[in-house]
Amino acid sequence: MTMLRVRDLGVRFGGLVALSGVSLDLNRGEILGLIGPNGAGKTTLFNCVSGLIQPSEGSIVFEGRSLRFAAPDERARRGIARTFQNLQLWESMTVQENLQVPMDAVGKRNTLSDALGLPLSHYAERAAAERARAILHVLELDGYGSRLAGDLPAGIQRRVEIGRALAMRPKLVLLDEPAAGLDAGETERLASLLRTVRDRFHVSMLLVDHDMSLVMKVCDYIYVLDFGKVLARGRPGDVRSDRKVIAAYLGEATPELVESTEEPPVVVTAEEPKRLPAPRANGHRPATNGNPLLEVSGLAAGYGHLEVIRDVTLTVGAGEVVACIGANGAGKTTTLRAISGVIRARSGRVAFDGNNIIGSSPERIARMGLAHIPEGRGLFPSMSVEDTLRLATDSTGAKVKLEAAYEVFPRLKQRRHQAVGTLSGGEQQMVAMARAVLAQPRLLMIDEMSQGLAPTIVRQLFQMIDVFKQQGTAVLLVEQFVESALAVADRAYVFEHGTIAHEASADELRRDRNLISGSYLGSTAGEASTIQVAANGNGNGHKPHPELMEIVSMRVPAEVKRALEERAEREGRPVGALALELLAEVKP
Amino acid sequence: MMPGHIVRFAVAIVAFAILARLPVGLDGAFQFDAALALIWAFGILSIVLLTGYAGQVSLCQATFAGVGAYGAGMVVASLHGGYLLGIVVGVLFAMVLGVLVGLPALRLHGITLAIVTLGIALVFDKYVFQDHLFDWFTGGTAGWQVSNASILGIKVDYSKHLLAAYDILLALFCITAVLLVNLHQSGAGRRFRAIRDSELAASTMGVNLTRYKLLAFAMSAGIAGLGGSFYPLIAGSVSPQPFWVFTSLQLAAIGVLMGVRYVPAAALGGLFMAVVPDVLTRYGHGAFMGRVYDISNDWFQIALGVLLIVQLVLLPDGVWGDLRDHVARLRSALPGGARRQVRPA
Repeated sequence: MTMLRVRDLGVRFGGLVALSGVSLDLNRGEILGLIGPNGAGKTTLFNCVSGLIQPSEGSIVFEGRSLRFAAPDERARRGIARTFQNLQLWESMTVQENLQVPMDAVGKRNTLSDALGLPLSHYAERAAAERARAILHVLELDGYGSRLAGDLPAGIQRRVEIGRALAMRPKLVLLDEPAAGLDAGETERLASLLRTVRDRFHVSMLLVDHDMSLVMKVCDYIYVLDFGKVLARGRPGDVRSDRKVIAAYLGEATPELVESTEEPPVVVTAEEPKRLPAPRANGHRPATNGNPLLEVSGLAAGYGHLEVIRDVTLTVGAGEVVACIGANGAGKTTTLRAISGVIRARSGRVAFDGNNIIGSSPERIARMGLAHIPEGRGLFPSMSVEDTLRLATDSTGAKVKLEAAYEVFPRLKQRRHQAVGTLSGGEQQMVAMARAVLAQPRLLMIDEMSQGLAPTIVRQLFQMIDVFKQQGTAVLLVEQFVESALAVADRAYVFEHGTIAHEASADELRRDRNLISGSYLGSTAGEASTIQVAANGNGNGHKPHPELMEIVSMRVPAEVKRALEERAEREGRPVGALALELLAEVKP
Repeated sequence: MMPGHIVRFAVAIVAFAILARLPVGLDGAFQFDAALALIWAFGILSIVLLTGYAGQVSLCQATFAGVGAYGAGMVVASLHGGYLLGIVVGVLFAMVLGVLVGLPALRLHGITLAIVTLGIALVFDKYVFQDHLFDWFTGGTAGWQVSNASILGIKVDYSKHLLAAYDILLALFCITAVLLVNLHQSGAGRRFRAIRDSELAASTMGVNLTRYKLLAFAMSAGIAGLGGSFYPLIAGSVSPQPFWVFTSLQLAAIGVLMGVRYVPAAALGGLFMAVVPDVLTRYGHGAFMGRVYDISNDWFQIALGVLLIVQLVLLPDGVWGDLRDHVARLRSALPGGARRQVRPA
């Protein structure tokens, strides 16, 4: 029986079409997966169902009644609960209180009786506490009830969010990236947990996640979104082998896709390499005698409680083009940010041209010749093209003629007095690249250059990378269009779960597509949990200890690992060190 | 009643018994300060509910108190009603204004909401409390004169029975404070705090934002108005001066200073706001080691500013919040000490 029926849903933000003509059916008791590349419209669809945004067209019917005029809280009371991609727990409240709010909202409570502490409230309170305990037990969160939600590590917070959603006695739970930031072992556990939850609480689920191993394992049926439209649907096995799906993920632009984008083509005359501003004259190029230009080892970094990357080790040689590929949330962007100093590395070493640059400020790193074009390009929308470029030359202190940039990007010369915000996405990316190139970097890091751009423009931008390469600028590329990236790159690193899973030459990866599609669409079997991951960091920023390696590879039951983690977290020490100590006590 | 409630009421009764007799030996001016301290304590209590619990910003809490004061004054002096009726009308007026002020809060947050409420405080200060158009409400330039008032047969005339007024006010404060602590741990309190921590999550978890934001503003304004409605009783008249914009700012500043999430901080703050300036004016001049000094009332504002900066750096959770934490930590460090209770109250 259909529980949620979405028909011809369309959402427009200004000129941007986020969703168009999306139809979807979710049956009672089903776990429905919703996947698609970045910007495909998954979260937008979620927000439509939970009422945070109003669709421009189409209908959403839940249990036979339209949701059109229902406010978010009304939908919640009708039985739609959700979690959030960026954790939205009530951080200053205890875990139990977090669970009680939705319970109260569904039940009837009286404020005056609450304030006076009348028996009515007393009983309601006791019943709620009891139910909260039961839910926490199913989610393996016993003992967390009286902890403040904001103090918990991200992995636990994710589970509390699921618990909070369940507390409302929902019929449908929307899970927005529940596996974000979890390592392979935790993801594995989450998968079995979700199935348990479905059976114990009799709920249906709509699941969005970039971790394909989770989606493939848990979901009964999958919809694939791309460019705001349903690209494919089917059972997990069918979807995984669907040619269109693989193309959407790996960026083999099929004709239909090209037509579906609305960006006007931009002409870049990049066929014959133009003269780029000469590499810094006072520089020490050729950069190094055989040593790589950039050397990263054991890098760990993250945000708040979340450790996103751990033990990342990579090198970029002078004049080499290296691509970082992997599913969303695998840690590519965070790696670039940690290298360029935008976020602080928690451990590890980053050497640029032989100098350790960990702890240096981003602007100093930039001046050393390491340019970073961030995701979203980092432009100032109201500034004109020329002013933007001038800013770049000023900051290096070198007088470089803007003409050099205009020669490479003639399009920008025509547009030089236009505000950057009024340019098309492709032109904006050119401005960002021109700005970076004017600073005469020796290494250019570009994050998601092709995001939101039509394939024709993407092709032209990739030709530019080739130009940089011929000029001797090294490039480290984070890219979701894998095919295009591998076409220009010399080597590539495949990211999985916050660390590097494979390293191979671009040719090798292009030949062996299974290697990559596995990391995107999740073919590898889940590994059993070892305490290695925790020993490496666990968010405490501790370096793995060489002595720990013996224990590190030791397989332990999940409960033991959890107990260790919790104790280590309480005492603020690395798990590995704690394990060593306990072992020493046991040994005669 | 739950055990927690019984304990809280017991604490309130003990506090009342001690504080009720405290100002007995003092002179009239200090007795007035004691009563005024309670009025400002109500003002800060209203901020604890609105900002500390529900996370909404308001810089017009003194305006609510002023509306309460004028409402009560109007009923007693102009309509010749009983003082109890005056209090009820004052509180109702304040609550209505509270709902009106809450309407923009449905869309605005943080600094913009602060500016809007500050604007409301300004408008009331200049164009309601001091404009002839509203003489029916404010009693004109002279304000309302209230004397020979009584509540439930108890004479509370400011010139002779100031202490009786103080005791009634104190009893009301203790009750309101206990109710607010209870509220913190109850369904509605949790919903308020959910709105404070994440509106997005609150709305998708079934909390009606419109209803609970307006409820928070109405209750908060009512509490401030309740304190304000006693002003004519203890001062004998109402004037715009105590409820001007700056008082609102001071209430907010002292609320933050003392710990905006904690009910007891309101009592501390009220005392601080009413007594310290008076002490400074009275004893803040003389000679020390041959040098003449004069620390007048003006120094209070400067000291408040400095204290606020010191507090934000050293005691981010406010004087009460952080001291409580330190005490709890000391206690748990003792052998056999219990784990720290995380629940603020």
